Formats: sequence, structure tokens, C-alpha cells
Amino acid sequence: MTQNLLFLPIIIPLAAAIICILTPRNLRPAQAMIALAATLINLLISAALWGRQISFSAPWLGIGFEFSLRLYHFSAFIMLSVASFGFLVTLYSTVFMRDRNSLGQFYAYFLLTLSFAAGAVLADNLLVLLLFWEGLLLALFGMIIIGNKSAFKTATKAFIIVGITDLCMMTGIALTGKLAGTLTMSQINLPLGGLGSVAFILLMIGAISKGGAMPFHTWIPDAAVDAPLPFMALVPAALEKLLGIYFLTRISLDLFQLNPGSWVSVLLMTIGAVTIILAVMMALVQKDYKRLLSYHAISQVGYMILGIGTAVPAGIIGGLFHMINNALYKSCLFLTGGSVEKQAGTTNLEELGGLRSRMPVTFACFVITALAISGVPPFNGFFSRELVYDGALSRGCIFYVAAVAGSFFTAASFLKLGHAAFLGKINDKNKGVKEASFAMLFPMMVIALICVLFGLYNYLPINKLIQPVLGEARLEGHDYSGFPHNITLVLVTVIVLIGALANHIFGVKRTGAGLKAVDHIHYAPGLSQIYSMAEKRYFDPYEIGMKFAQFAARIIWRIDRAIDWVYDSLLTGAAHAFSKVIRGMHTGYYPVYIAWSILGTAAVLLFALK
Amino acid sequence: MSTQFLLITAVAAPLIAVLFIPLIGKFSKQARNVLSLIAAVVPFIACAILAFAVLKGDSPEPVLFFGLALKADMLAVFMGLVSSFLSSLIILYSFDYISHYRDQNEYYFMVVLFLGAMMGLVFSSNLILLYVFWEITAITSWRLIGFFRDREYVLKADKAFLVTAFGALAMLIGFIMIYQTTGSFDLAAIKENLKTSPIANLAVLLILAGIFSKSATLPFHTWLPDAGVAPSPVTALLHAAILVKIGVYVFARLFLATFNMEQFWHTVVPVIAFLSAIISAGAAFIETDLKRLIAFSTISQIGFIFFGLAIGNEMAVVGGLLYILMHGIAKAGLFLCAGIIEQNTKIRDITKLGGLIKTMPVTAIAFLLCSFSVMGIPPFGGFFSKYLVFSGAIKSGHLFITAAFLVAAFMTILYLFRVFNMVFLGEARSPQVKEASPTMVFTVASLGVLSLISGILVWYPYKFVQDAVWQMMGMVK
Repeated sequence: MTQNLLFLPIIIPLAAAIICILTPRNLRPAQAMIALAATLINLLISAALWGRQISFSAPWLGIGFEFSLRLYHFSAFIMLSVASFGFLVTLYSTVFMRDRNSLGQFYAYFLLTLSFAAGAVLADNLLVLLLFWEGLLLALFGMIIIGNKSAFKTATKAFIIVGITDLCMMTGIALTGKLAGTLTMSQINLPLGGLGSVAFILLMIGAISKGGAMPFHTWIPDAAVDAPLPFMALVPAALEKLLGIYFLTRISLDLFQLNPGSWVSVLLMTIGAVTIILAVMMALVQKDYKRLLSYHAISQVGYMILGIGTAVPAGIIGGLFHMINNALYKSCLFLTGGSVEKQAGTTNLEELGGLRSRMPVTFACFVITALAISGVPPFNGFFSRELVYDGALSRGCIFYVAAVAGSFFTAASFLKLGHAAFLGKINDKNKGVKEASFAMLFPMMVIALICVLFGLYNYLPINKLIQPVLGEARLEGHDYSGFPHNITLVLVTVIVLIGALANHIFGVKRTGAGLKAVDHIHYAPGLSQIYSMAEKRYFDPYEIGMKFAQFAARIIWRIDRAIDWVYDSLLTGAAHAFSKVIRGMHTGYYPVYIAWSILGTAAVLLFALK
Repeated sequence: MSTQFLLITAVAAPLIAVLFIPLIGKFSKQARNVLSLIAAVVPFIACAILAFAVLKGDSPEPVLFFGLALKADMLAVFMGLVSSFLSSLIILYSFDYISHYRDQNEYYFMVVLFLGAMMGLVFSSNLILLYVFWEITAITSWRLIGFFRDREYVLKADKAFLVTAFGALAMLIGFIMIYQTTGSFDLAAIKENLKTSPIANLAVLLILAGIFSKSATLPFHTWLPDAGVAPSPVTALLHAAILVKIGVYVFARLFLATFNMEQFWHTVVPVIAFLSAIISAGAAFIETDLKRLIAFSTISQIGFIFFGLAIGNEMAVVGGLLYILMHGIAKAGLFLCAGIIEQNTKIRDITKLGGLIKTMPVTAIAFLLCSFSVMGIPPFGGFFSKYLVFSGAIKSGHLFITAAFLVAAFMTILYLFRVFNMVFLGEARSPQVKEASPTMVFTVASLGVLSLISGILVWYPYKFVQDAVWQMMGMVK
């Protein structure tokens, strides 16, 4: 009986999604209430399941495919987080989305996302995981497409990028199945090397693309503009990080034996470091609240991948802690962006400013979470970053430098964002702006509070949630909670943060506006050209890939037409030419025909006599 | 009812109905249409009942005349079910589609005759009988492709006929070579004779030429996009659901169930299949004519089926056969959607279409669902077949060719999204037309929903196909 409990987090949102889509349009408040009730029940069930260990398995398709689910501390932890974010963001949406079109579809996709996310986390069979994993892709596609009229381009982009990486993952799963002889995740433990590395990388592509790391990231900033904001706060900011990093951790720790010596580990760290730097540099120069945040959503996943890629305990714990921290503050930041959008009507930073006095609670939540994301002690982001730094430094100075540089730019861009949106002079248009309603503020306050708690009492998440994931054997008796033990690293961090603040003050002095605080970096010689090319999407792997596909397809098209020409022109031409020759022999002249007949008879006779 | 009688009914019902269709058409269109539908539904029901019989281990083998016999094993019943089911839906769709064209009697005559030949082909247990039905399908499809009598359309029909007929002649020579070594055209006898030794490479080559020309595989594929000039239900019937699957079926019947090929063919066929898949996928990315584009996509997907079957291990063959079902459903849906668009807007150039989702929402959603299935997105049916084929290939160690097919799978996503976006989304460039008649919309919607359901309930077709493969390869349950 308890086994069937496992299905509840999947079935309840799924059922609610179906009800939502079937609810007639004139019952719109009911849709929100159904969604809210379903997510609340879902949260309660996930909380009730906490701490239990349940496995379910039923034969599904033959040849080793079993429909198996498994709840244990790691999956329960991710599931509880998913359910919590689901509930809080739904509560927020009841107000935020009230006047939008396609509300039934919005809630349906929203709930489907929660259902599939729970399924993906619980899955104990790689094929089952993939089933839910790509179900998320469908919900994602639907969610973006209802954003606005031209959103379908972004939706297509997201679908193509994620769809292609999911096909890689599918191949990876098939390869893992061959190597391990089973698809049951809890029974797989493969060494890297040779085909094992290929399988790992294929699965990794699926994981980091879900997480939104480079080079699979470019749909996220576009979606930030097009898709409904609660979607951004839930999916790219929280859920996808949780799922992507969950799966990356599973393949690194459980499914494969990732160890610090392997080149795969270096590859992961490189992806992480590059993602951190490039995405944060893009975030720095954005002029839109949501777009700026979305680049941070990419940049932050770099820290997690870097942390896990180090394959040393400090790094992995840091990466996982950063995952949960980022999900918290990033979704809260998006929610503050949404409350600004709802109240002021825009997220364009050029039209914002001085909202501090009008929206004090939103501002307070923004400040807390911005400090957390910048890694200022004693907020949660500080502790997870320090752990990642610690791990990165033990693997190579270059990775540490990249991570710290990322920290500098993160702080700089949030100083700019906060200054441009909340400080400074208020725009005349925004004089009448009021604070958002309680249903929107409550989720933000809860999340901001957790950010503080997880910082001050970091042993709570680290000891209870994260260290069990690694297991006693890997920890070797260490405890990574509490204040960072490497004081030198803390000092460097503090110096970098002060540097970011100094940089901001310098920039504001120079240009006189918070929004232009980083212009001296944006328009620095060399950088400004790169930035303008990036804005024109010259570096977008999706655009490059599509151009290449076009080019290749054109060549292939020629080949195909050439084959067709053989049939249409060459063969028919040859047939015509041949019949022309034959026709020429039919002269209508009797002696010729008689001569042909005699020759023919002679030939037959010769053949018969021989 | 004896299973022998059921089997004969499945083949004979359409063939007998064909005799009456033009006659009845003289008096009542309604009666003719209903008769045509019955002629397709009866084989479907017969096959469905047969399916339970063969699951229990029965295999009816009625002898017709001159010692020519039919035989129903699980593979044949599976193909029979898929073909008769899709034909029924397509005939239903035809009622409204074809109702305002000339030569309707000819249309139904040819479609039902085609179905009868198809049923005969799948249940043949003899190479000669198989060849006869093979050629009947060629003649009927020639007439159906040239259904609109414009000169260039008739030329395209000739092209389709000539390519497939020459292929069939090559195949016939291959059959004769087999006769020379084994002394029989009967499949069971051939199997008995060739238990150990693989057949001659030249015979394999000749038979493959026939199969590839029928299933529109490189280099014999170009007739298929050209045949897009046929009425849309015909393209669905010929290109997607049934005709092109004949070659695939015969491949499975001969090379997997009856005799062995030399080992190197298990590499050569996947390579040809890959070239076919990638070249047509690239062409589909450039093509702008809606129906030709979907036809290129069919060629590409057929490549995946051959890939699975040629790999030859259990998982890949199960995947390949499931692919026939999943692709049949989804691609028939795509062609029928294209038919609705073509008939209502009178435009086939996708660059001139756009924004149709607003006025044709059901068609758009059905198109999208079928596309997802062809792309292989779970939980749609196409995912499972694609996964099984890939997984089977990896299991056999064909890593490079699998990686190559992965690229073809990427291309599938690209070109299907391109067409969906251009036709249904964006600005409305074409006349804003309404949905087609309820019957037509119902047909495409049910195909779209089936694409999804066949994935969610994949257990049932999967189990059946797996048993079929076990039976076919002589494995013990």
C-alpha cells in the first residue's frame, strides 16, 4: 500500500492539470483554486514522504525495462523542494496571472511540469526517467508558446535545443544499458574510460542541458522575455537546476565512478568555468530586469557543474548546496521582477528607478536575495560558493580564478540592477506604483527567509540534506557545515566583493546613473565589439547550428536532385536515343526486312546446331 | 468460425467487394462508399480475431489452388492489422475529400483493390503469390497517383510504376535463383532447405533492389516525392501507411524469417538506410511543397526501419516492426492534415502559408501530435520504436552507424518544426480558411490522439510484436 503512495506526487498534479484544461473559460478563478489546492496537497504528501525509503517496481516492457520508482533521501529532498516551489509559485500566480489569456493552459502546463518533475526524480529506471524528462520538454514548449504572439520562435528554439540533447541522452541510456546490462539506476555502477566515458558524456549532455549550462543555454534569455514570469521563476530558475544537477550528481556519484583524475572531470569543470564567466559577462550588460536574471540563471549553474566536476567532497557538497541555494534566491529574484512588472508595467530598467519607497517589501526581498547570490556572508550563497572555491582550488588555480571572477561580476551586476530598479530618481510614470498584494509577497518573503536561515544555520541543509547524498565513505569523517575553514579564501572573497562595490561607485560617479555603472566595462576597447557581436547572436550555438544545418541540407538537396535527374533525364534520354536507333532500322523497305529475317533464322540455326 | 475461413475472408473480402463497387456506384454513391468502408473494416475485424488465434499458437494455412497457400503467422497478422486499420480510417476520410472530383468509382475500386492485394501479400506463403500481389499493388498505385489526369501527373505516375516494376523484375530474378537452389517457391520449404547456408549474394542484391524500389530507399527513392501529386488520402495510403511498408515487410519476411544473408549485408543495409535517411532528411529541410516534404520525411523514416531490421537482434527487430505501426499512424495523420490544408487553402507551398492554427486548431494540434511521434518524443509512440532500434543497434556494437542515425534524428526534429511553424504559426499569409468537414477532422484528430495513446499503452503492441519476433526467429518463449 505504501508503495502506491509514490504515485501520488505524479498523479495528483497530472489529474489537476487535466481538470484545469477541461474547465470552461468562465470558471477562471476555479482553475487557480484547483491548481493551488493540488500543489498544496502535493506539498503535504511530499513532506509526509520525507524520510521514508520506498521502492516500487512492476514489469513493463520486456527485455529489462521495468517501471520502477525509488524514494530515498536524495530523491525525497529534491521532490520536497519541487513541491515547495510549486506551491509558492502557484500562490504567486493566482494574482500575477489573473488577467492573462490562456489561463487554463498555463496552469495545466504548470501542473504537468510538477508531475513530470516528480516522476523524473522518483524514477529508478533510466527509461522511465527519460519518459518524464522529455514530458517536461512538452510542458516547457507549451508554456513558452502561450507567452505572446511571437513566442513560438523561442518555444521552437527551446524545443529543438532540448530535444536534440534529449536524443543524445536517449542514446546514452541505450549505451549504459549495454554496458551495465540493466537500466535500473540503483544497480548501475560503471567505471569511466572507453565506452563508459562516451555513455557518461551523452548522459551528461542531457543533464547539463536541462540545467541550462553552455552551450545549451541560449533559449533561456529569450524565454525570459517571452514566457509568463511564474514559469521563469519555477522552471529555469528552480526546477531545471534541481533536476539537471540531481541527474548530474546521480551519474557522477552513483551510475559512473567519476574520479578527480579523469579527463571527464576536467571537461565538466571547464564547462562549468566557461559557463560562469561568459554568462555573467552577458548578464552584466543587460538592460532588462528579467533578461539580466536569466543570464544569472545560466551563470549560476556553472558553479554547480564546476563543484560537482571537481569530484572532491568539498566541491560536490558545494555544488549541491549551491543548487538548492540558487533555486531559492533565483526564483525569489524572478518573483521580485514579476512584482515590479505587475505593479510598474515594465521590466525595462531604463524606465524603472526609485521603487524602494513604493515597494519596500519587494525591495527588502530583493536585497536579501541579491546579497545571497553575490555570496555575501552570512547568507546562504556565501557558504556554498566557499565550498565550490575550496573544491576548485584543489583541482587547479585556473578554475578558482574563474569562479572568483564570476563572483565579482555577479556582485557588480546586482549592484547595477538594484540601483537601476529600486534606487535613484523615480520615473514620473511610476509615481503611482503601489506594493504588490500579499499573495505575491508571501512566497517572496518565505523564500528570502529561508535564504537567511540556510546561511546562518547552514548545518541544517548540509548535514541533513546534502552530506547523506555522498555517504559516509566519501566524507571520510569530515563535516563541511559551519564557517569555512579556509580563512584565506574568505579573505579573497571579501576583497573581491569590496572591489565590486568600489567598481560600482566608480561607475556611478563616472556616468551618474546606476544603470550605466558598468559602462566602463561594457564599452572597454575590445570588449564592446565582442558584446555587440554577441547581441547580434553571432555566438549563439543554436543560430550557428541552424545555419550549418541549412548549409548541409542545401548540399544534400543537390545530391538528391542529381539522383532524380538520373531518372528524369538520363534514363529517359537513353531510352529515347535507343528507340531512335531502332526506329531508324524500320525503313518500311521489304528487302531489308527479308534480309533481317534470313539473318535471324541463320543465327537460330547456328545456335541450334552447335 | 474456423481460422482458415477468417484468413480467406481477410484477403477475399476486399477482392470480392471490388467487383461490385463500380456497379453499385452507378446507382448510389452512398452505398458505394459504405461498401468500400466495409471492405476495409471486414479484414480488420478478421485480422483482430486472427490475432487472438495466433497468440494461442494457431497458424492457419489454407491452400488456394495450384498448391498456392496463404499462411497467418504473427508477423503477417500484425502487418494485416496495421494496414487494414489505417486503410479504414483513410477510406473514411476519403468520403468528403473525394466527393467533388470525377472518377470516384475508379478511386474506390483502386483503393479497395490495393487493400485486397496488400492483404494477400502479407498472408502469402509462396514467393509467386507474393510477387503477383506485389505487382497488383504497383498497378493500382500507378492508377491512383495519376488520379488527376493532368499530363505531368500521369508522367509522375508512370515514373513511380516504372521504378517499382523494374525493381520487381529484378526481385523476380532473385526469386528464380532461390528456386534453382532450393527447388521450391514455398517459404516453409525454402526455410527448411536453407537452414544453414546463406543465400547467394547476387540473389540478395536483386531482391534488395525490388524491396528498396518499393520502399523508396536510396537510390530508388525519387518517385515517392513526385507521387505527391496524388490525392491526399492516396498519398497517406501509399506513401505513409502501407505501400512503402510492403518492402519493409518483405525484407522481414524473407531475410529475417526465412533465410540468412552473408554477415556483411548486416552492415551494408544499415549504411544504405542511413544514406537514404540523411539525404531525404536534408531534402525535407529545403523542400517547400508540403506533400513532397512529408514524402521526403517518409523516406527518411523508412531508413530507420531498415536500420532496425537489418541489425537483426531481437530488440532492434522489435523496434523496427513497432516503427512500422507508429510511423504508419503518425505519417498517415500528417498526410491527411496536409490534405485538409491543401484542399481548403488550395496552396501547397509552405512559404505561402502561415497562422493557420487560429482557424484550424484541431488540424494543427493533430499535426503537432503526429510530428512529436515522428520525432520520437516520449511518451509518444514513435519514441519507443526509435529507442528500441537505437538500443538494439548499440547492443550489437554498431556504434558509428548509430551515431550517424542520431544526426538523422536531429534533422527530423528540425524539418518537422520548420514545417509546423511555417504552416500553422506566425503571420497569416494565406486565406483564412475554416476547418474541413467533421469526418475529415475526426480522422486526423483520432490519428493524432492514437500517436499519443500508442505510446502510453505501448505495452500491448510491444508484447504482440515481441511474440511475433520470437516466432519469426524461432526463439523459445
